[in-house]
Amino acid sequence: MTAATALSATQTAALIRRLTALADDEIILAHRGGEWTGHAPILEEDIALANIAQDELGHAGLYLGLRTELDGSDPDRLAFFRDAGQYTNTRFTELPKGDWAFTMLRQFLYDAFEALWLQAATASAYAPLAEVAAKAVREEKFHLQHTALWVERLALGTPESERRTQAALTELWPYAAQLFQPVEGEQELAEASLLPDLQGVYTRWQTLVTRHLVEKCGLTLPATFPDSAGRDVHTDHLAPLLAEMQSVARAYPEAETW
Amino acid sequence: MTHTPSPDTQWPRWEVFKQDAPGKPHQAIGSVHAGDPEHALHTARNVFVRRPAAVSLWAVRWADLLTATPEELTTTPAVLDTSGESGTYHVGIKRTSKRSMTFVDLVGTVEAHGPGDALRLAREQHPDALTWLVFPESAVVRTDDDHGTVESWFAPAVDKTYKQQQAYGVIGRHVGELKRAGRMPGRVNEEPHVGDQKVYDHPHDTVKP
Repeated sequence: MTAATALSATQTAALIRRLTALADDEIILAHRGGEWTGHAPILEEDIALANIAQDELGHAGLYLGLRTELDGSDPDRLAFFRDAGQYTNTRFTELPKGDWAFTMLRQFLYDAFEALWLQAATASAYAPLAEVAAKAVREEKFHLQHTALWVERLALGTPESERRTQAALTELWPYAAQLFQPVEGEQELAEASLLPDLQGVYTRWQTLVTRHLVEKCGLTLPATFPDSAGRDVHTDHLAPLLAEMQSVARAYPEAETW
Repeated sequence: MTHTPSPDTQWPRWEVFKQDAPGKPHQAIGSVHAGDPEHALHTARNVFVRRPAAVSLWAVRWADLLTATPEELTTTPAVLDTSGESGTYHVGIKRTSKRSMTFVDLVGTVEAHGPGDALRLAREQHPDALTWLVFPESAVVRTDDDHGTVESWFAPAVDKTYKQQQAYGVIGRHVGELKRAGRMPGRVNEEPHVGDQKVYDHPHDTVKP
């Protein structure tokens, strides 16, 4: 097992980039999930999605906590005082919440990624990450079950729900590939068994989602090219999201407690 | 005035039973609306088991439950004739009104010819109950008790405890801190609020004793 002190400066920098990327995806997706609070199709699902979004935010807290151990950064400052140009989330997570099918399908694709990534990360040679992954993967497996259940019911539901689910898949599919883009220096960390091998996670993810979406739900994977731009490129949707999410923190920057 | 009731488009209602620890009874803790059994369990987990300890969840479609109080059996004894399938029935009873968080505890099973018969047996075995509730074993949908389910459905909640209200501060200083520092006004001595002002004269106000 590797402690923080055993990491080289290059390794530390790459690990910080990956932890921040993970946290940024969680924060932005959690906000999109939170936008359904009070608006979900049924009270019980309102509660369920709010729970899932809170869990994702909790995972972001875990990742940023790991980053704090490496560079002493303040998770709240990172979440609430960086602007769109500094956020490193995928465009996949920042797209507007869309309809219920879009939200459930995106959450399913994301949950499948995170559950598989965390499962692999439990074997990390970096002990603090392995511990965090073991804790978070339990929740993520439940998220995945819940969103898989919803995607199945929408895809096999009415012609309207099937149409909307297929439309969501067609729109989201090229963006989903961004989740598997390595950050700078990530390959070296994977070779040192500090981080999961992204290509291996991608292979397992494709098998999992294809089995569910195509074989079980009868949906069609679109033949679109993946969006290949990096995490430093954002859509116009991120800035307004951050403006809302950060408004209280920026209005009271000296607040001592929340 | 005539009123045409709109059709009920809600999903069926399911009663949720939660077991806090192995060996403890399943307790009725509330209900959810869900489209199918699996959905009911998932929704029950999110609604009722985000924090408190649990090891097992059951859901039973509301239509499969039969309940009665002693008063109801006095006024409508025909409930005991409710027919249905023969087999094993779960029995739940409410013993006390002191615990408001649960409706009934499941106390065992009976072999009965139908729901009414099961209710009759429940009353015989637990004559002092405030409420009896029965449902057939075949109507239960339950979580698996395998390691994976327990780990992903129930284990995360163990680390998540409730916070008391005072655990949350306010933006800036906590009000108690400001009071101790003498920075909170004691008695309100400014102009009364609009809501405190008399806006009309009530006739009784002018009546002299």
